[in-house]
Amino acid sequence: MKNLNMLFISLLTALILFIFLSVFYGKNNPKELSLDEPIQIVLKSTEGQPMDFWDVLAHGIDQAAKEYGIQVEISGPRFEREINRQINILNRVIAEDPPLIILAASDYKRLVKSVEQASGRRIPVITLDSAVDSNIPVSFIATDNLEAGRRAGSEMRRLITDSPKKGIAIVSHIRETATAIDREAGVREALDGGNIIGTWYCDVDQEKAYRITLRLLNNPDIGGIVALNEVAALGVARAIDETGSKDNMIVVGFDNAIRELSYLEEGVIKATVVQRPYNMGYLAVKTAAEYLLGNRVESFIDTGSVLITRENMFQREYQELLYPFNPTE
Amino acid sequence: MIFSAIFIMQLVSFRFTLNTARNSIIDNNKVLLSQLVTQIDSYIGNMEKLADAIVENREIQYFLENVGEPNLDLRQSIENRLADYILARGDLSGILIAGTDGKLLTGAPDGKINPWTVIEDQSWYTKALEANGRTVVSTSYVQNIIAGQYSWVVSLSRSIISAEDGRFLGVLLVDLKFNRINELCRSLVVGRRSYDFIIDQDGNYVFHPMQQLVYSEIRTEPVGEILKMLENHNEDPFFDGEHYFTAAASALTGWHIVNVTYRGDITTNWQWVQLSYAAIGLVLFIVVGIFTNKISSGITKPVRKLQDIMKSVDSGEFHLVGRIEGTDEIRELAREYDIMVTRIRELMKENILEQELKRKSDLKALQAQINPHFLYNTLDSIIWMGEMKQHKEVVQMTSALSKLFRISISKGRELISVTEEIAHVQSYLTIQEMRYKDKFRYLIDIDPDIHDCIILKITLQPLVENAIYHGIKEVDHQGFIKISGRRDGDDIVFEVTDNGRGMNEQQLRQLVAGVTAAEDNRNKLTRQGMGVRNVHERISIYFGAQYGLSFKSTAEKGTTITVRLPAMTQETQ
Repeated sequence: MKNLNMLFISLLTALILFIFLSVFYGKNNPKELSLDEPIQIVLKSTEGQPMDFWDVLAHGIDQAAKEYGIQVEISGPRFEREINRQINILNRVIAEDPPLIILAASDYKRLVKSVEQASGRRIPVITLDSAVDSNIPVSFIATDNLEAGRRAGSEMRRLITDSPKKGIAIVSHIRETATAIDREAGVREALDGGNIIGTWYCDVDQEKAYRITLRLLNNPDIGGIVALNEVAALGVARAIDETGSKDNMIVVGFDNAIRELSYLEEGVIKATVVQRPYNMGYLAVKTAAEYLLGNRVESFIDTGSVLITRENMFQREYQELLYPFNPTE
Repeated sequence: MIFSAIFIMQLVSFRFTLNTARNSIIDNNKVLLSQLVTQIDSYIGNMEKLADAIVENREIQYFLENVGEPNLDLRQSIENRLADYILARGDLSGILIAGTDGKLLTGAPDGKINPWTVIEDQSWYTKALEANGRTVVSTSYVQNIIAGQYSWVVSLSRSIISAEDGRFLGVLLVDLKFNRINELCRSLVVGRRSYDFIIDQDGNYVFHPMQQLVYSEIRTEPVGEILKMLENHNEDPFFDGEHYFTAAASALTGWHIVNVTYRGDITTNWQWVQLSYAAIGLVLFIVVGIFTNKISSGITKPVRKLQDIMKSVDSGEFHLVGRIEGTDEIRELAREYDIMVTRIRELMKENILEQELKRKSDLKALQAQINPHFLYNTLDSIIWMGEMKQHKEVVQMTSALSKLFRISISKGRELISVTEEIAHVQSYLTIQEMRYKDKFRYLIDIDPDIHDCIILKITLQPLVENAIYHGIKEVDHQGFIKISGRRDGDDIVFEVTDNGRGMNEQQLRQLVAGVTAAEDNRNKLTRQGMGVRNVHERISIYFGAQYGLSFKSTAEKGTTITVRLPAMTQETQ
């Protein structure tokens, strides 16, 4: 009987040791995420220039994925305007039951149904860059576009003071996209009291933005154009550059395509509000990882924006942002 | 005890393994870092040599010295040479020479100079002027000197000084593709998440794989601590709780190359190590548990069994251990114990037997004391003598009888002095002599040396009685009884000799057998035989088997009974 007790005690102690070692040291180590399936990331556009917005964002995604040791799979339509295609892709991704979906919604309303479907299958969704009209997503990682719009608006407000023409036109990239809606609202808020003539939509088509601008140049009241994204800004700037009217028209754009920055250097574009796509991609995956680790995540993470002018564009701290370094170059 | 020892050992060795692994990874990082520094330095060193060659080139010097002259052919020749340099070295982004008169020579003949770039404001230009002929290595930045081209570079720049008169001729700029350094930094890292970054002397980033995160302060590096660590030539890496920072300084560039290793990476496989440690611990515990169990059951179990058996002694039961599993010592102990118990058992048995015998002998002594035949015969004699008015004889016999009984009672003592025993037998003989008038004579011849020795009471009287009734009474001639006593070494020996009928050999054997045989298988003896045997038994019980009676007898000649006793006085008893 006594011997049985001894055996029992030794086994018990061994068990305690076992638990102690695995728990104590396990606790000391940062938790590791191990997923069977990759996290699915559905972006708005997968085909673009190297180091454009989505490419840089993908670099940020890769960095965070590497850091957390998780697999990610990026998909999406070729072009941002292919909303139906994005819906199809998202639905296909949902059917695969991934551990989590990160979505950059190309439409504020039309992707809601799919997001609800994902929620129904208990797949958590994080929205990136552009939100959907739903409170299902556990987190939204984006530029605070209202704030970015305000930045552009107040810069325009500052620049237009010296201009004889006070009218301001807004060239937006697309209707019913959260980014466009928020930026426009921010611009209008900052220009409160200013003379906003109206908003034109280029439907993420540079050529259309170009043609819109040519028409706007005929309007003698318009002294400033706010272009709400890269495509719009490039179309606007090309029209101004080609017509040689950079001294008559103040352009404030968004984003930082290389050509856009050349326009900025040349003075065609006076200022551009630049987002941080790298940080956006990085933080989206980081948030996803933290969520899957069971940590609390913020419902909205602002990745910030910077107003870039000719004066600060070659400052060291913005160079990586404006001219993302391409290691494969 | 053993368990806690194992436990502590496990913890210590786990810690030790952890530290060893960590240190080896950190040492490894140091080696990689120094390799990286060597590579960067040799790379930059090569570029400096190139810069030397350009700066000292006669053609170039000549071209720059002649301010204001276009020298188009020479320009073409120089630009071709610079283009050749760039072509020959894949890691050169561009070469530019800025003359004092605004002349710009580039190695990219078809590239247009960016009209928006003001050369004199560029940091590489101003720093080269300050450095006064020494080479300046810039941090990484976007070079915008060629229109439409924005390339990440690290620049080497230096003033061009005339070999002839020491005049300032312009500034040479050699742009190195940053990609080369980037590749170097990214290639020489181990660990899943480890990375290298480079800061210059002032703590500005030259290279960081996550530059954007750093600049937007999503990630911060403890640059201050790293610089301090380098300043103090600290060998140990800086640890911020999550990352280990190891740094090495590049002498040529003034850069500090820092390796960042995640604590988690060092311990990535620790789950497995932990698990195996825990498993080893578990196995050790079980093994030790079983072994201790075995050992303890090998030692404690027999000991406990021994203990239990020994306890039975308390309750008066003397159990034997018998065969027992255990170590040699335990078996030896059990064996010795068994021997002891067996001996005790024997002794106890003997003791019980002896006690019983003693009790019987006491009874027999009592029987001897009060011999009713003798008593009433004697009393008859007294009555008869009284009737015959022989008053003197009556008194004599009565007093002898009284003496006889007094001594035989002797206050309950078993042992009396020889003197008393003599008195006792004397009284008996007095009575018998009076009863058997002139039938026999007797002589008591006891060595006075042994008068003080002790003797079992009523030893001699039965022998005398035997001599009278079986020896003398049967013969016609007058009998003679001699009682002698003397010392014989450590013993005292009494002899009762008669000249009576004696015994033939068969009778003698019968008597001896009857006297010495065990109680159970002895033939019925006569009362007289019983008296003699009682004496023998009592003596051997009291003093041991070597003491007692021996007989000598010849038919028609008489019998001698010898009594042997240990010589003891009252004091020595």
